[in-house]
Amino acid sequence: MKKLIQPFATINRQTFMIMVAAQVVITLLFWHGLSDGLIPKPGKVAGAFITLLGTKLFIDNMLVSLLLTLKAMLYSILITLLFAYLSVLPFFKSVALFIVKCRYLTLTGLIFIFTLLTKDGSELKLSLLVFGIVPFFVTSFLSVIVNSNPQEYELCKTLGYNNWQTLYEIIIIGKADQVFEILRQNFAISWLMITMVEGLSMSEGGIGTLLIKYNKYNDLTNVLALQLAIFIIGLCFDYLLGNLRHWLFPYSKLKTANAKS
Amino acid sequence: MTECIKAEVVLQATNVYLTYDRPILRDINFCIRNIIRPGLLQGQVVSLIGRSGIGKTQLFKLLSGLQAPTAGQITILDNKPVKAGDMGVIFQNYYLFEWRTVYQSLMLAAKKNKKLAGKEKQTIDQYADQFQMTGHLNLYPQQLSGGQRQRVSIMQQLLKGSDFILLDEPFSGLDICMLDKAVELLLQVSLSDELKTLIIVSHDIENSVAISDTVFILGNEPGILGATIKKEIDLIERDLAWKKDIKHEKRFLETIEEIKGCL
Repeated sequence: MKKLIQPFATINRQTFMIMVAAQVVITLLFWHGLSDGLIPKPGKVAGAFITLLGTKLFIDNMLVSLLLTLKAMLYSILITLLFAYLSVLPFFKSVALFIVKCRYLTLTGLIFIFTLLTKDGSELKLSLLVFGIVPFFVTSFLSVIVNSNPQEYELCKTLGYNNWQTLYEIIIIGKADQVFEILRQNFAISWLMITMVEGLSMSEGGIGTLLIKYNKYNDLTNVLALQLAIFIIGLCFDYLLGNLRHWLFPYSKLKTANAKS
Repeated sequence: MTECIKAEVVLQATNVYLTYDRPILRDINFCIRNIIRPGLLQGQVVSLIGRSGIGKTQLFKLLSGLQAPTAGQITILDNKPVKAGDMGVIFQNYYLFEWRTVYQSLMLAAKKNKKLAGKEKQTIDQYADQFQMTGHLNLYPQQLSGGQRQRVSIMQQLLKGSDFILLDEPFSGLDICMLDKAVELLLQVSLSDELKTLIIVSHDIENSVAISDTVFILGNEPGILGATIKKEIDLIERDLAWKKDIKHEKRFLETIEEIKGCL
């Protein structure tokens, strides 16, 4: 028990699971105790969550959002890779650095420009999402490149590689597993943005639209149930992308294991 | 004394200086000659010995061509200035690409060696057998022990086909058993080709001297900033080169003491 509050103490998996379960139960009890008429009790939210999962409305909207997110992530990662790989060429470095700074731009002020530039609501949402995600992806990937072990470059040089061969070996091949890690780490951002973007353009629905609709009518039970669904789907994707990375790049699993030990 | 001839120069450092905000290395002058022993393919094993922090790693980088000297030049066979890729380099921690299996890493090096064109796989298998790594070819570097990584690093640089192998602190971090194996391995490499030249940069005097034919001592001189080659010891002349179990002999111990006195 003492270990649980000791800095840097390690606990076994079973203890960790028991601890998490206890914390969840305490939180739920706390929530249950604090709920009054306005804030729904956990049991009510759980009931609404189960009902929501079986509705066509939820499934349709969730699929719309998932499809849009995946599409946006695919475009974003392609754009990211292009600029990140090009960033090692001095000519493109400034462009990549500018994209990194674009994290500070808010989407809200740019909606009108994007509306003028796109054909329909679907394109508008996609472009807004890509515009929102890319700076975060590029930031993560540039940090991976910058933090490369200098010995990787030295080994390339001693093997007689020219700069293009070094780029291919270290950045393209050597960092391929990191692309999945960046996707995993930034999926949360994409998932966060989708609700916002769908709120801006409601033409095709989506969980963002659904969330705004429930919010509008103060249907807090369904809002929380939907938040729970969004949370769980996010966790599933996190798990899926992590495993996909380990499956495609077995050495990434060894790296993680070494880092933990 | 063992019969041998010191023939042509294979590596020459001339008036090499390295300065950052202060002089690190100055007036580095030394040369390595091809040693010819009748009836043997005898390569060269040279040690550059110096205290920690004296500038050994900087000299290592200059010799490997990874860094250019502030002044002076280092030339190899046919008086050609050394450049990155000319030397086989084995880093202190035996760095290997973490995303490549042992086989893939070796293949990358073999493909750089024009002499091996079409015979890459066969040569890798031969080396793997010779270095007892056959069963480890499909493993990633993280799955190898320190000694195995060292062997893969050496194999990689040998497959690349360079005549020079530069080793940075090859004995650090190895246990007693591995140390003996490492020494044996380096001797084996030095006997693989007449022009094969091993340059060991180390502060481990005993082990470096035990396998070398020549020792260069890197040190500071009173009142002058920057390290230089203070002394060259010809171990062949002293009949200390190429001898097994030399470490216990009085002459060897005296040489060790002499080197320590110079540091």
